[in-house]
Amino acid sequence: MLNFNSPIQNEKKYNEIKITEVEPTIKINLRSNKREFSTKIGKILSILPPTEANTSSGNENYSLLWLSPDEWLVYSKNKNQNFKDQIELEKKLFNEISKINQGAVTNVSDHWVLFNLKGNKIYDLLTKSCPFDFNEFKKKKGSVSQTIVNHINVIIHNNENNDLNLFVRRSFSEDLWLWINDSASFL
Amino acid sequence: MFIINCPYCGKRDQVEFSCGGEAHIERPKQPTELSDDQWAEYLFMRKNIKGVQFERWNHTHGCRKWFNMVRDTSNDKIHATYKMGEKPPIK
Repeated sequence: MLNFNSPIQNEKKYNEIKITEVEPTIKINLRSNKREFSTKIGKILSILPPTEANTSSGNENYSLLWLSPDEWLVYSKNKNQNFKDQIELEKKLFNEISKINQGAVTNVSDHWVLFNLKGNKIYDLLTKSCPFDFNEFKKKKGSVSQTIVNHINVIIHNNENNDLNLFVRRSFSEDLWLWINDSASFL
Repeated sequence: MFIINCPYCGKRDQVEFSCGGEAHIERPKQPTELSDDQWAEYLFMRKNIKGVQFERWNHTHGCRKWFNMVRDTSNDKIHATYKMGEKPPIK
């Protein structure tokens, strides 16, 4: 995060769709299959890691997404979170988990780029090039899905009705951004 | 195109998965005691039958977990999917 340069730095509005890049936000990948892991995360973040597939948990500051039975992604909801606080959080997680072999803590803030999609037609946009069935997903707030959009790996988090966060790998972010903008202009 | 039921994530499209070949092949306990032919048999020879086959699959674009599948290769009918380490639900 020291020399963070956002690859997109843009915000676009189309007919019933608004697309924004939400950066910088801290994103930390957590991996563990130890029993004490949940309680440790609960103590540090005040959120318990979700055990049910394709779900998430969160509070006013952070969201914790289920990625696989032993993998989670925590990200900050507050775009303007103090840089010092972010470093502190990473340090705390590292010392409490990685350092004592309770799991792995990896800062992936620069690995993932976060887009926010809002509007009535966001699911029409995604289904243009995504094999995932969004019918159940859009009904349930906090749903998480890892899938592909336009042949690009993404993590999609349902914030609330017609508002979702989409994580894409940094090297693919410009490609996906261009595709989203192009597709949105035809809706 | 067909739908695969990942034991971890649920039903997903086939494009999210990749096949890892035949399942339930045990590594020999003492590889040094095997002849070259026996080692080659373990390493390279796969059944690839027409009919019900046990396969390993990976949810590449999802949870990235490996699991097993019972699939009829003649019509792509999936009889079952189950986690690694579990016994096949069909014999």
